[in-house]
Amino acid sequence: MFLFNPYKFNKTADYLFKPILFLSIILFSFGLLYSLFLSPDDYQQGTTVRIMYVHVPSAWLSLMTYAIMTLYSVAALAFRIPFGFIVNSAIAPIGAVYTLICIISGSLWGKPMWGTWWVWDARLTSVALLFIIYLIIIFMNLSFENRIVKEKVIAIFILVGSINLPIVKFSVDWWNTLHQPATISKLSKPSIDPSMMTPLIIMTFAFIMIGISIAILRIKTEIISRKSNLR
Amino acid sequence: MILVKDLSIERSNKKIFENVNLSLGTGKIIILKGENGSGKTTLLKSILNLIEPTSGSIYWKGKLLNKNLNDFYNHVTYIADKTTSLRKLTVQDNINIWKKIFLSKIGKSNIENILKILKLDFYLGQKVNSLSFGEIKKLELLRLIIENKKIWILDEPLSNLDKETINVVEQTFEDHCAKEGSIIFSSHQDTVINVTEEVIL
Amino acid sequence: MISFLSKIGSFYYREYKLNLSGFQDILTNIIFFFVSIFIFIFSIGPEKETISLIGVGIVWTLLLLSSTLSLRKFYQDDFENGNLLLMRLNGFSYGFISILKTFSHFLFVQVPFLLSIPIACILLNIANDKVVYLFASFAIGSLILSCLGSISSSMNLMNQRNFLLGSLIVMIFSVPIIIFSVGIINMEKNFYSLMSVLVGILLIVFSINPWASGLCLKLSLENN
Repeated sequence: MFLFNPYKFNKTADYLFKPILFLSIILFSFGLLYSLFLSPDDYQQGTTVRIMYVHVPSAWLSLMTYAIMTLYSVAALAFRIPFGFIVNSAIAPIGAVYTLICIISGSLWGKPMWGTWWVWDARLTSVALLFIIYLIIIFMNLSFENRIVKEKVIAIFILVGSINLPIVKFSVDWWNTLHQPATISKLSKPSIDPSMMTPLIIMTFAFIMIGISIAILRIKTEIISRKSNLR
Repeated sequence: MILVKDLSIERSNKKIFENVNLSLGTGKIIILKGENGSGKTTLLKSILNLIEPTSGSIYWKGKLLNKNLNDFYNHVTYIADKTTSLRKLTVQDNINIWKKIFLSKIGKSNIENILKILKLDFYLGQKVNSLSFGEIKKLELLRLIIENKKIWILDEPLSNLDKETINVVEQTFEDHCAKEGSIIFSSHQDTVINVTEEVIL
Repeated sequence: MISFLSKIGSFYYREYKLNLSGFQDILTNIIFFFVSIFIFIFSIGPEKETISLIGVGIVWTLLLLSSTLSLRKFYQDDFENGNLLLMRLNGFSYGFISILKTFSHFLFVQVPFLLSIPIACILLNIANDKVVYLFASFAIGSLILSCLGSISSSMNLMNQRNFLLGSLIVMIFSVPIIIFSVGIINMEKNFYSLMSVLVGILLIVFSINPWASGLCLKLSLENN
């Protein structure tokens, strides 16, 4: 499997990298065009709804990146596949950037809609915590001297964090239903119109492709640096 | 009792040593010699199952070591290059703690005798922090007697000691071998101990 | 079996001796706790209503902060002078060492805080009937904090550069505990349901702790 073996991954990535990069450029430019100019305005939110086409895909991808890291941590720790460590250290910054995009676009969206940049809602709080967890992973990557210890400790941290995230989500849910139930109704979404669904899906795939192409580059550099024992 | 077969260890793609063979029977002393960084400490640690070897295997009483680990740990004393005595406490406290931890049945007069030989009896009420480095090392060697186990694994036990203490240590080693114990230790200096085997890394 | 139990006993004898000689460290922690309460009161003004409104939150935040102060000593000293290795060679597995250490941290660091809570409540004008809830939530919450401290400090044993990372990890993981504990005190009706959630979190953390800390201890000792 090329997803678990660095040598096979290198070979497959050489074939796949250029098509994926090409696809991501096309999808992204087309998606931006579609979502910014061709899609209709929302009858309630007006033109600010277009922030959604950046906000929602980045939110999905920030969680997806963490899920991938969790899977690779399990693979690396339980089945002793060292490629998992490489992937972990390579894609953590990507996830952090997606989370940051999600947070920034979310507050830009929230200011005109709710009248405030930030609400202490369950979803927002857990995304903020996710961002800090990503940052801790990156800091750990920088601050350990011994590589073997570093990568395993990071994998353990990712696993423990993956247990913590749902707990945080539910706890804030509880906390809000106990104290300030008003904020939740602001986030509850009506079902989406198909004319908005198409650009959303296109943008999501564009984000996925961009993420994959950056991940391929980062994983390849990581493999090379490990081979030459730079770190 | 301990049998090391074709042991080689690699760390971060660098070979530390290759195909080391050892056998430690009762009443034997093995000395490990080699330059700094030749892997003496690594070999001792891998015998203690603290480092996983890249290839090769270690046996204890005919069984694979990691299948029989607790029994092995019940018979071994390890003295590292670090000193495990607690710096904030007095020498007496440290001895008491060791006696409790290792369930030692050694008598009080026995320990006092050894302390007298090691010239540590004067410091009994003082904190370990105020002792000199050589004295802390001597206190560490006292653990060998307190633990009272068959196999001694020592990492550089003779460094930082004066001549007199080295003589005492050598005498203790020979006594221990006469009592069917066995010793494996590393050293970069020459000793007069009758070693049965010399391994050069 | 008996020898194993007496080994555990001697482990706690050793911890007791160590903590007794470093008693001023624990005292400094508690003084830090009280001084921070003073600072809080100075910064928000001495109105009784405001203080009693946010008092519980202040107590919990500061308890968390001051108990992370002593995190560095959780495993670091024993790791550096080789005592952790000695415990392993004495027949304790790494996971078991972490459990023993967690309880020792609870006994010698968190219990003094537990005892100083009533005084803090007097200072912050917290109603007497709420003190009981605060006490109960901290009794369980502090055990969770000890487990989290064990995990994060064992992760950072080989981290030579960034010691603050350990406190950051504990604080990130303790967000739900703070939420539920403060929730308990403000919603006395839901006491039992929230308390059972807190106990549930304790059980989760307690079952992860030996695995995570044990693995980290093993890693650090092997690669030291």
